[in-house]
Amino acid sequence: MNLGTRKILDRSFTAVGFGSIAVMGIALLIVLVPIITNGVGSVFFTGTLEHRKMLFNEFGRGNTEELVKENAVSEVYRQQIYGMLSAFESELETMDAEKKQDYLSKYGPVKTALQTLIGPLPGEAEAILTRYKYGQTRWGKAEEKLHEFLYETKWDFSNPDAMSKEYFVSRATEFEGTSLVKLFPFVEEHLEDVLRPEFTVYWGFLTDSSVDSHIFGGIWPEIQGTFFLAVGAMLFAFPLGVIAAVYFTEYAREGFFNSILRSANSTLAGVPSIVFGLFGLAFFINTLKVSESKSVLAGSLTLAIMILPTIIRAAEEAILSVPKTYKEASLSLGSTKWNTIMTVILPAALPGIITGGVISLGRAAGETAPIIFTAAVSVGSAIGLADVFSSPTPALSWNIYNLASEHEAAAEIRHVQYGMVLSLVSIVLLLNLSAILLRARISKKLKG
Amino acid sequence: MMSEDIVKESGRSGAFIVSAKKRKLQKLSKTAGESILLLIASFVAIVVLFIFYFVAVDAVPYFQLRGFREFFTSSNWYPADEPGEFGALAIIYGSGMVTLGSTLLSVPMGIAAAICLSDILPFSVRQYAKPVIEMLAAIPSVAFGFFALVIFAPLLQTHGGPILMWAWWVLAAPFLLLAVIVIADLLTAKIEDQNRRQQMSLVLLAVFALGALAFLYWVGSVLQGMEIITGTNALNVSIILSFMSLPTIVSVSEDALQAVGRDMREGSYALGATRAETIVKTVLPAASSGILAAVILGVMRALGETMVVWMASGNSSHIPEPWFNYLEAIRTLTATIAGDMGEADQVTGSARYHVLFAMGLLLLVISFFSNLVSERIVVRQRKILSGQ
Repeated sequence: MNLGTRKILDRSFTAVGFGSIAVMGIALLIVLVPIITNGVGSVFFTGTLEHRKMLFNEFGRGNTEELVKENAVSEVYRQQIYGMLSAFESELETMDAEKKQDYLSKYGPVKTALQTLIGPLPGEAEAILTRYKYGQTRWGKAEEKLHEFLYETKWDFSNPDAMSKEYFVSRATEFEGTSLVKLFPFVEEHLEDVLRPEFTVYWGFLTDSSVDSHIFGGIWPEIQGTFFLAVGAMLFAFPLGVIAAVYFTEYAREGFFNSILRSANSTLAGVPSIVFGLFGLAFFINTLKVSESKSVLAGSLTLAIMILPTIIRAAEEAILSVPKTYKEASLSLGSTKWNTIMTVILPAALPGIITGGVISLGRAAGETAPIIFTAAVSVGSAIGLADVFSSPTPALSWNIYNLASEHEAAAEIRHVQYGMVLSLVSIVLLLNLSAILLRARISKKLKG
Repeated sequence: MMSEDIVKESGRSGAFIVSAKKRKLQKLSKTAGESILLLIASFVAIVVLFIFYFVAVDAVPYFQLRGFREFFTSSNWYPADEPGEFGALAIIYGSGMVTLGSTLLSVPMGIAAAICLSDILPFSVRQYAKPVIEMLAAIPSVAFGFFALVIFAPLLQTHGGPILMWAWWVLAAPFLLLAVIVIADLLTAKIEDQNRRQQMSLVLLAVFALGALAFLYWVGSVLQGMEIITGTNALNVSIILSFMSLPTIVSVSEDALQAVGRDMREGSYALGATRAETIVKTVLPAASSGILAAVILGVMRALGETMVVWMASGNSSHIPEPWFNYLEAIRTLTATIAGDMGEADQVTGSARYHVLFAMGLLLLVISFFSNLVSERIVVRQRKILSGQ
């Protein structure tokens, strides 16, 4: 081959290598950036008066006087809106039956849209679900709902070969000639006066319990559940894993039995996570009956088995990286083997062991599949420490799935989902980051 | 052992006098301690046995009730009907499809990245590249699933055609250009006159490049014109899964590449090979078995993944038409287990409950054997390389 061509091939080979690393970095950014930017919006956002009302009523937080004052200002505009509605309703009475029926069918959706926008209208029965007691709590969502209030969404099915297209019809034109026409420009113009948007920092998102299955409120039960599950798994797996690692590195003799144990370890590491869930269900719940049904205990045990191989491997590596001279010095001073392990080797290996433990903690916090059948429920309040043996808990990982795929109003609470994903990802990444930093320090120290 | 020697030697000094009884006690406690350690260490093996046993015990009743044929040959999956139908062929096919798709994407990229990490990047840059890979590995699968469902699927559904076209141009254009250059060079290699050869190769280059450009443009426009009915499809899942299995493939194959010693590389350089030739013709063959192990582990990662496929594969149990259509919704084994257990759990003991364990057993057996194979491969490679 031509030398020039060979050079080109060599360069492009290098470029492919760089390219794939760049692709990984870009993929990481593409995944993380929307999660971070949208997730931050669950705490920092433009909140409306409805949000402050909700906080006051459900959590008893907020300044009463200011709330009353704000409410009074908002009420001025609200009364005008209500006035227009009642004017139209009395106008309806004067119409002939056919026309009335026609308008009535269009008027219903208008009222519903208005209600989702600014909260319950006067003269209606008190809503049972909390979600119907308030209007839009977030200004961004309120603007979307305003559009839905002003325009009716219709679908164009005229072309049978292509997918149907959506288009919008102004509701104002549908009520041309009636008194209701004035309502639409009025609401559009004065929505800010009614809802009074204001920049809000809602740390309660992380510490409040959820109201009406996450329509309002925070994600504390999930955070706590994740914490219980991950820490519980560590309580079981960490001591077992470290002891097993000590055995493998210090006591095990090469042989058939030892190779079986090692194979078992790598087999366990390769078992699909959903199979752990099946095993947890079949063994811990149906056979051992550690609890009636799902419980934090069963979930923790299942997660512990899952992270055990990781902990063993990390601890083994950490123990093996302790310089041989340490051990020899201790033994030559007359210390027994066990004493050497406890006082010299383990302390020296401890940072490395903890690094492995921290990474496993992150893994246990992020896993979903093993806890689906063993520990997770979709709705529920935070459980007490005494309940971990008997009751299931909501957990971040499971509830992200549940809110995104199974929640009845999944599209309405994207901000909660993003907030949960961001919380989970930052918990896991912070744990990993601290592990990476710890490891960098250890390798510096070992180099001297 | 060492301490015992010391005790014996210094027996006369008085400070280390240990009575026979006490020594016996010490020895006893030592054996007892060691056996406790052994017991704990063999805990892992016991757990593996238990997993096999308990999954199998709940899987066997399904095969007793319904036999093997329906599960593996039919694709009618109606577990809720009375009587239910449990044909898992389409589900197994869906699992295979996304695994294959993600492997096709992740293996070339992973090996290229591993080569880059082990042979190309200087040490200082490598330190920054590694955390990127570790972070990619650390992100919880449900976060990837959420991304696939909420961000990627709508994007694919509305702008799928242009996205596919751009991906095609970015991926295929450089490689086609390279291929054109190499082919032109190879075809003109036999011409002896220097000037004629250059002229000839320029002409060939121009002709081939035009042809390649036309091909690129044609495929690109076909892709752009595609209408994607649903964004939650096999393609979406394959792409996301490939990023999830990349870290495994990269780190295991990087280990394999580094296990190939410096002397081999230097021998190749000394014979006048470029870096690319050294890697492709010397290092990769020597590390091939380790890389194969990496690929197997990556495949297992994709096959065993639950959340991404459950959230973003569409969960529709049918074999796509045509069979390679990645733009259709599919359903996988893991997603079926996760999704159906909620209802099947109510009827413990029915075929509907046990069929999910049968699927789990299938996954378990596949993962067991591929683990065994990859482990054997790694051990063998280590032996061969250290033997040289």
